[in-house]
Order: sequence, then C-alpha cells, then structure tokens
Amino acid sequence: MIRTLFLIFGIGVILIYAASSWFGWEFANSGSRSRLGMPFIYGGFRGGK
Amino acid sequence: MSVLQANCPSCAAPIEFKAGSTIVLVCPFCRSAVARTDRKLEDLGKVAEIAESESPLKIGLKGNFKEHRFELTGRAQNRHELGGFWDEWYATFSNGWVGWLAEAQGKFYLTFYQPLPAGTSVPAFETLQIGQTISEVSSQTPFVVTEKGTATAIAADGEIPYKLVPNERCNYADLSGKGGAFGTIDYSMNPPWVFVGQEVSLADIGLADAKSAKREAKRVAAAAMGCPNCGGSLELNAPDKTERVTCPFCNSLLDVNQGNLKFLRSLAKIENPFVLPIGAEGTFKDNAKFKIIGAVVRSVTIEAAQYYWHEYLLYNPNIGFRWLMHSDNHWNFVEPVNAADVEAELGILGTTTGTPTTVKYNGRKFKIFQDAPARVEYVQGEFYWRVEQGETVRAIDYIAPPLMLSQEITNKEVNWSIGTYLTNAEVERAFNVSDLPKPWSVAPNQPSPDGFYIKYGFLMLGILLIVAVLMIPLSGFSSTPLAQQITLPPMVNATTPQTVFSQPFELKGNRNVRITANAPVSNSFADLDIDLINEQNNEVESVNVPIEYYSGSDSDGAWTEGAQTQDATLSSLPAGKYTLRVEGTWQNFQQPMPVTVKVEQNINRGVNFCLAFCVLAILPFLGLIRKWMFESKRWSESMFSSASSSDSDAKEDMFGESSEIQTVFDRKKIS
Repeated sequence: MIRTLFLIFGIGVILIYAASSWFGWEFANSGSRSRLGMPFIYGGFRGGK
Repeated sequence: MSVLQANCPSCAAPIEFKAGSTIVLVCPFCRSAVARTDRKLEDLGKVAEIAESESPLKIGLKGNFKEHRFELTGRAQNRHELGGFWDEWYATFSNGWVGWLAEAQGKFYLTFYQPLPAGTSVPAFETLQIGQTISEVSSQTPFVVTEKGTATAIAADGEIPYKLVPNERCNYADLSGKGGAFGTIDYSMNPPWVFVGQEVSLADIGLADAKSAKREAKRVAAAAMGCPNCGGSLELNAPDKTERVTCPFCNSLLDVNQGNLKFLRSLAKIENPFVLPIGAEGTFKDNAKFKIIGAVVRSVTIEAAQYYWHEYLLYNPNIGFRWLMHSDNHWNFVEPVNAADVEAELGILGTTTGTPTTVKYNGRKFKIFQDAPARVEYVQGEFYWRVEQGETVRAIDYIAPPLMLSQEITNKEVNWSIGTYLTNAEVERAFNVSDLPKPWSVAPNQPSPDGFYIKYGFLMLGILLIVAVLMIPLSGFSSTPLAQQITLPPMVNATTPQTVFSQPFELKGNRNVRITANAPVSNSFADLDIDLINEQNNEVESVNVPIEYYSGSDSDGAWTEGAQTQDATLSSLPAGKYTLRVEGTWQNFQQPMPVTVKVEQNINRGVNFCLAFCVLAILPFLGLIRKWMFESKRWSESMFSSASSSDSDAKEDMFGESSEIQTVFDRKKIS
C-alpha cells in the first residue's frame, strides 16, 4: 500500500513538474494573484535592506 | 563374451548370462554371485536381498540416452561407510556400451568408463583432498573432489559387468563439475578406473514414465519393532533413507538398519525447543509440499559466546530432502547445490589456508560472513545420516541477500547449500499457522527493506532529469516583449511615490514572465512596485522589486552589498496586451530616477526542478541512510566485519594452529 502510494506520489510530482514547464507555472513565485505558487518565495536574489 | 546358458555352481539352477558384457550374475534362486571366466563359473558367495526403496527403476526397464537404446540389466547396492546406501544400475546399450546409472536421494547420475590418457594417473586415494581439482580427468569442465570414502557392496541383482564380490569394501571418490557433470574414481582397480558422466533426469534417459514404487509410510509396530527402549510405536516417513530416529516417547536416539531399530543413547529432553512440530506439512515455491521429519538444534561458539539455531529437515518423496533454518526467528529455505557450480577465488576449498572471501554462484557474488565450527546440540525425528549429538562440521557462510551460500566441510566431504530468506508471513502461509515469534536483529541474508524506495526513488529522479532535459527544447525559446528605459520624476517628498507607465506590449500564454528592473543606485535604494495591467480585462498582477546597492572599503578591502538589478518572476498570464505601471520611491527622492525595465517570457529557471528534485529525493536518500544503518547492523554480527578483529585472528582463535578440523563425524551428504 505504502509502496503504491510512493509510486503514485512520485509520478505525480514528475507530471506536475512537466506540466509546470509546459504551461509556464512558477512555484516559487511573486505576485499577488499568481495562479499557482507561493507568493512569499521570491525568484531572484534580493540583497539585505 | 557372448550369451551363456549354464547351471549355478551353488544350486545347479539354470542361469543365463544374457548380456555379453556381464561378468557376474546373481542367481535368482539361491542368490549366489556367479562370475564367469573364460574357463568356468565361479561362486563368489551369497549376496543379500536388495533393500526396499521407492526407486522408479527396475531390471528390464528400457530407456534411451543420446539416441542409443539401453536396458537396465543389473543392480548393485552399496553401503556408505557413514551410513545409508545407494543403488547402481547397469545399463547395457544396444551399441555395446555399458553405463552406470547411480541413484541416490532421488537423483540420478549416468556415467561411463573413461580410460585415462597413456602415462597419466589420478592422485592416490590417501593423498586426495576434498575440493581438489582433478586435472588428469579430461572433461569439458574441471572436476573437483566432493567426497571420498569407502563403500561396501551389500546386495545385488541381475547381471553385473564387473567382478562384484559380496561385502567387498572399496575406496572411491566422487567428483563434481559445472552444469551437473559428475565423475567417480573407483580405487578397487589398479590402476583406478575413472567414470565420467552427468546428472540426468528420468526424462533425459527416456524413463519419464517410470513410476516410484509407492509404499505406505512404514509403521514400526510396537509388538514387533517398537522402540527398543520403551516399546513405543514409531512411524518412519522415509523408511528407505532414514538412518537415525528419535523416539518421541522416551527421547532415545535409535539407529535404523533396514527396519531394525537399535538403542544408542538417551538424549536430554528439552521442552518444546521447536516452534514447528515434527510432522507439520508446508507448501513452498512451485507448490512443492514438504513434511518436517526431523529437527536439529545446532550451535556455534564465537568469542566464547554460544549461538543457537534450529534446522528442520523437510522431506518430499519426489523431490528429496530440504532444510528450513530458523535463527533469531528469521527463516531460510535451504537447498543443496552442486559444489562445482560454486567458483571460489582460490582453487582449493575446504582448507583454512586460502579460504576465499568471496565466491560466485549463478553469476552472483557472495561475501564471506561467518566461518565457525557448528555443533549438533539436540535432535528430534528422523535423519538420513547417522547424526550424533556433539557432531561438528566447519560451517562457512557467504551472503548475497536474500541468498546465503553455506559450505559444510569435514575431512571426508564438502557440501554446499543455498538458503533463500523467508519472511515470517511466508512461513506462516506455508504451514498455515499464525503468530510465529517475531524476528530480532538483522539476519545475515535478510534483504534490506528499503531497497524498493531506493531503487524506484532514484529511478524517478532519473525520469525527472530526462523530462527536464526534454522540456528545454519543447517549451521553446525565451523572448523579450518589453525592454524600455523610463524615468521617474523627482518625488514631491520622501514618502509620496512617483508613477510612470510603460509602452504596451504583448504577452503570450503558457509562458512564465520575468520582470527585471535596473536602477543606478549607489549606496542607496529604490523600492519599485510594478503592476502588470491586462488591457483587455484590467486585471492587475503586482510585484515588488526592491533595489539596493552599497559599497565601500574597510580593513579587509573593498566590499559591495546588493545589486542595481533585481527581478521577479510570475506564473504564466493570459495572452494579451499589457502595460507596466511602475511606482517607486527612492532614497535620493529629489533627483529623477531612470529605471530600465525588461519583461521576458519563457525563462528557464532551476527552481521548479530543484523543488521537484528535493521532494523526490527525500525518500530515496532517507532509504540510503536507513540501508547504511541496516547493513552496519547486519555486518556487526559477522566475524568478518571491518569493525571486528582481523580475519586471521578470528580464525586462529577458532581453529588453533592446525588447518583442519579433526572432529570425527558421521553424516552423509544430500546427493
């Protein structure tokens, strides 16, 4: 059971990654109304203020 | 020699030497062994009746081997010096060949006389070593000595192609080669005769339809042949193979000799030492049913500590004997292996000097795990050899989980067997029992439980890498819909931002968007709020791009912090016309701020890949750590682990200065 779940989860991650590459999704994203992603993780380095 | 009709010199009954190759004929009337010479017939003495067995063979049976027909014309029974007997059938071929079909423990070996090349001779019997390669015998595969001993001709029937003298003892050596090759050196002749052939199945020799003689399990009745100590009734499951049996009532060890029981000694009773009872039947792979007919408690002593385990003797009349090993509540199903199929790094097996640390079998490498004398502590049930309490053999284990190759060596023979790890659940299923005691520690050949996650985890990481590489060309090239310099006019005050709009530009769908802003700040900052405005539906996507850049020098030299260029990346937006609204505040607010903004699409970033990689890598890397811990625990039990004392020290303690175990034993191998 756990092995099956592991395989399903792994395949799911690969499919989501492939879909993100195809559809241009960014998971580490910035923007207030991003379609998918985590707004609090910004792309690019930011220096300290 | 031709067909000869004559009268038995003992009882004058008519006898006939049918086969030209026959030297000795057993008179069917008085059981005299009658030898024919060129001049006369000679009575060699009486031969015993053939002991009953479940052999499917019989005199007169016709078969074929390599398209040559043969008939079984004679049979001789030989007793092994260590107990037990085997049959040799004489196959007379239509082309004049005479073959020997040896039958032992349900296996068959067909051999033919092979003269040695002129000028060569085999090693003398006394100098022969177990495991020695016999290069003098030419064959497709090198032969190694697997057994040497003395046999006694105890019974015969039909026509024998050599001078069989009843009860004559002769030395012999059995040889094994790869792929079932088999040979025998008969030292009763001078010079010794060599017979070479191979293991065969009944189907190989055209006797697939031959049926075993079905016999009921022989019940030794209390009135006639009960236990000689207490009179209890005993049932033998393999009456033609059993050499020793224990009485379940008085715990006596009894010797079995053609149905006759002889009391040897009383064994100290141990209450319920075994988790599976004698007589239990189990079903294993290929639906093979085995019955537990005997059980042994054995021990090894390593560094003054004694370790025990149990071995159950399994029996199937069609398959023969197997073992079920039970140690620390771990289970192994053990089968015999042809010694010649095991390749050692060094040529000679069975000696302390040059014991290989790895061996190869069936293309798989096995590492040495244990090398210690194993001692029989207690027995229960039936055994096919003359088992003795206290008998000791040198036992060497090699592992390649889930398999374990075991070698048991004495000065008379070497036996190899292979054990396959079984889980508790598999043994419970086999015997239809439940709640077997749970295993502890790690068994030598117990497979790592994390192998699945490591294998498939890394497989998925590989697939992810392939997908990432494929997506690069498939997703297309990056583009720059907007690159413009805009100038923010001076701020009214330090807090009120200024706003400027860019020229409109087109964005394509299904492509990420990166907004890069460059401002010529130096030891100051500029904080930009950039909005992407969809001109069709006025939807706004906002990002914040703070820019700060500081530099200076101190005792360590020049330093910088931050950058004049920063960016933000967004997920894909609907395709359409967009405008940038740039709203900014900056430190030197009384000066205008020129800002270069760039909008790019389809940028290759590693963030998604890194996230996916990290998520997928968790389980396999955890599995690797667990596997490392598992293997450390496994090898901590081995006397050959790197953490233990050196190998030579361990073996020196075990065997002293002598290189061979001197303990005398009584045991017949599983052929």
